[in-house]
Amino acid sequence: MKIVIVGNGKVGFSLAEQLSQEAHDVTVVDTDEQSLRRAADALDVMTVKGNGVSALVLRDAGAAEADLLVACTNQDEVNMVCCLTAKNMGAQYTIARIRNPEYASGFDQMRQDMGIDMIINPEYASAVEISRLLRFPSAADIDTFCRGRVELIGVRLQEGDFVVGAPLYALPDRVKKLSMLFCAVERGEDMVIPNGGFAPQAGDKLYLIGQPDSLDQFLKLLGRSTSKPKNVMILGGGKISVYLAGKLLQMKMKVKLIELREDKCRTISENLPNVTVICGDGTDQELLEVENLSAFDAFVSLSDRDEDNLIISLYAAQRGLPKVVAKCNRQNYTSIANSVGLESIISPKLITAENILQVVRGMQNSHGSVMNALYRIADGKAEAMEFIVSPSTQNLGVPLKDLRLKPGILIAVVVRKGKIIIPEGSTSIQEKDSVILISRNSGILDLNDIYAGTDQSPAGTGGKA
Amino acid sequence: MNFRVVFKLIGRILLLLAGSMVLPLLVALLYGESPAPFLYSILLLGVIGGGLSALPATSRFYAREGFFAVALIWLLTGVAGSLPFLFSGWFATPIDCIFESCSGFTTTGATILTEIEPLPKGILFWRSFTHWLGGMGVLVLATAIVPSLGIRSHYLTQAETTGPVFSKLVPKQSQTSKILYSIYFTLTAIETVCLRIAGMPWYDALIHSFSTAGTGGFSNRNASVGAYGSAAIEIIIAVFILLFSVNFAIHFLLLCRKFREVLESDELRFFAGVVTLSTLLIAVNILPQYDGFLQALRYSFFQVTSIISTTGFATADFVLWPSFSQAVLVLLMFVGACAGSTGGGMKCSRILILLRSIRREINQIIHPGMVEVVKLDGKVVEEKVIRTISIFIGCYILVTLGAMLVLTLDGHNFTVAFSSALTCVSNVGPGLDAVGPTGNFAAFSGPSKLLMSLCMIIGRLEIFPVLVLFSRGAWRKT
Repeated sequence: MKIVIVGNGKVGFSLAEQLSQEAHDVTVVDTDEQSLRRAADALDVMTVKGNGVSALVLRDAGAAEADLLVACTNQDEVNMVCCLTAKNMGAQYTIARIRNPEYASGFDQMRQDMGIDMIINPEYASAVEISRLLRFPSAADIDTFCRGRVELIGVRLQEGDFVVGAPLYALPDRVKKLSMLFCAVERGEDMVIPNGGFAPQAGDKLYLIGQPDSLDQFLKLLGRSTSKPKNVMILGGGKISVYLAGKLLQMKMKVKLIELREDKCRTISENLPNVTVICGDGTDQELLEVENLSAFDAFVSLSDRDEDNLIISLYAAQRGLPKVVAKCNRQNYTSIANSVGLESIISPKLITAENILQVVRGMQNSHGSVMNALYRIADGKAEAMEFIVSPSTQNLGVPLKDLRLKPGILIAVVVRKGKIIIPEGSTSIQEKDSVILISRNSGILDLNDIYAGTDQSPAGTGGKA
Repeated sequence: MNFRVVFKLIGRILLLLAGSMVLPLLVALLYGESPAPFLYSILLLGVIGGGLSALPATSRFYAREGFFAVALIWLLTGVAGSLPFLFSGWFATPIDCIFESCSGFTTTGATILTEIEPLPKGILFWRSFTHWLGGMGVLVLATAIVPSLGIRSHYLTQAETTGPVFSKLVPKQSQTSKILYSIYFTLTAIETVCLRIAGMPWYDALIHSFSTAGTGGFSNRNASVGAYGSAAIEIIIAVFILLFSVNFAIHFLLLCRKFREVLESDELRFFAGVVTLSTLLIAVNILPQYDGFLQALRYSFFQVTSIISTTGFATADFVLWPSFSQAVLVLLMFVGACAGSTGGGMKCSRILILLRSIRREINQIIHPGMVEVVKLDGKVVEEKVIRTISIFIGCYILVTLGAMLVLTLDGHNFTVAFSSALTCVSNVGPGLDAVGPTGNFAAFSGPSKLLMSLCMIIGRLEIFPVLVLFSRGAWRKT
């Protein structure tokens, strides 16, 4: 596919990186020479210097023939005009990053008049992600499929958990009868798809997929708290914090927000009168103690500095808070954070890239089965995908035990007419089912790609969106 | 909210109160009265206090806990202090005992007793001694003599000390408390000796010194200080009242021989000005009722000092004075003493800052772009302080009016209801009309007496700590 990315910031760069690796033709447009050079050096992309609003620049970048244009400069208005211009030139699908919440309300109008097909708001997406994490506090990650009917969660195992040491087939019946599946295990740097003989160890991160109720019960058996937090402390008063605080209030949680700048505090207090806004340095432990940090159920660190977020989250975790979430944009910190016990690390950049990637994948195989969701789990070592089975899917009605799948692929859940089926050997895939796969190979674009002996569908043949 | 540390603290304070009852116990023994009321009280407080202070507690103690603890401790102190009254059997109902005890600790000096003189000397001693304890503050005393409460004690004294801005005299809080109490103790002792020399018996001298020191107003005579009919005694008391109603930091500065700073204190000058002006105005106003200007000046001066310091002693029944004089006295009840003193009221520094910010507000209407800072003692008053002062004064008036509204339910007229509410909130003691210097509060109903007791504590702690106690956020953990 031909993809134009306007704006080579944090999101733009990581998007370009991902898309170019997946064999798309990526052109990056930016006004800053230095950042373009960085992209050209590090990635296999074309670069065009100039303002993305200018028709000339866009023509140079090939917007007229592009299948997709992503506008993610730091200015909402530039992104909008850029999408409008590109659409008029002939770009098939446009995505604009729009952060100002005041614009988001008029999205339907924008889609019609400005030719923006999708709006992405990294801060909002991050807030949604965090609020989901808080709803399920004992899981380190959580992803949803089939409009929330199926959830995928990650749990770090501790010494003494009853699943540690014993092979999975020997688990007690009360666990076996739960409607869920052990779909992946992250051990150190490795990721395995477990079979019945697999014995989990302490320190493993277990990924479970299934019905939310069953997952809930399993976590209860494991002795992790599953109750929703009542009191949440948020550090930092940026956009994510404001969106998050609003969401948490809707979920009937009590929110205390700490922000250093007084003018920001005032604005937040104006817009969210039910949030307790504290003006002060949230990295100061004294202040956190005065505000009685240890009495909170969850702590979300969203300041501008990754380092501050990690350190202060560590402090909160050490004070015994059941759930700690930290924002961290630098990816190389994530594994360090995990190794010291911080499980829930949020990166707005990655969330945005993931959302856009999902759209790209969906466009690519719109002729085949439709990919509804894509999540990367275990630090990107595996993907979880949801497909809708179409008539073109092969091997319909064949029991799974007779199918030859590529190695590293697991059919985790089949959803048929709203009913969740944890597949067994006799289960077969039928038309209109939703199938959720776990795959260690990235690049599964269609359900037909999972069968051994087939080639991957060629990239760049995506039809109309 | 860390309730454990608050309860532990309450336990310590109850023990302290039990200890302070040893003094009236000795007085009772000295005069051959029954020590039973004090023995029972000491025993009861000792057991409860000992139990509570044995609680294990963490040292998590911040501003919220401080304010909360102070308000709760004051409410409980009011109850604990009423025990000797209750056991003595001289009071009609337990509510009367609580009223008398709150009136004592908050240095109000309002009484429900119609006849004071027949009471045992031990009980009367305790009644005045509560003034002395409450004047400087129970918690200030605790931080001074309990070696280490194991907590950040400035959060406690901050809530108990009067005035808009809290500051320490020396770096250490316990040291500051010790200095305050040393000054307090010394002045009280000097006054006792002076009164003795002027002709009072030792016992009476001590009672009146306690009442003066705390700016309370309890006397062991029905006719208050007027009973002695001695100009010398009146002048000694008036002078000491003035000494106790200025900021104790001033006394400390005097001890450090920083005389220039004392003279440059805006609040002190304002206080002196108000006292002088009111004395002269009232003296002229009441001239027809007395023979000669000096005579009028003597009664006027004593009454002005007694009311502005919120002591509430009386040498004349000012209810019989012209209404202008009475109105001046009511205004003085609002103004009150200086910040950091043992007196009540809104405090002179607050009024002064309010007046200056009013002037600034007017200036800003005339010159919309004008930038002007409000200063006190040559130092800039922070905007937050000005805001808090405005809100404080608003609250003060609202609390007074609210209490007045409830008191009228008893069927008292406006003057009685209003002056009772104001005299309680300002910790003065006497009001106007039926609750004037010769009257008392016996006619009020039980609930009204409880409300007035609460008003006294609200006024003594300067409103906000008690309001904290009623806010839901203070009771929540987060």
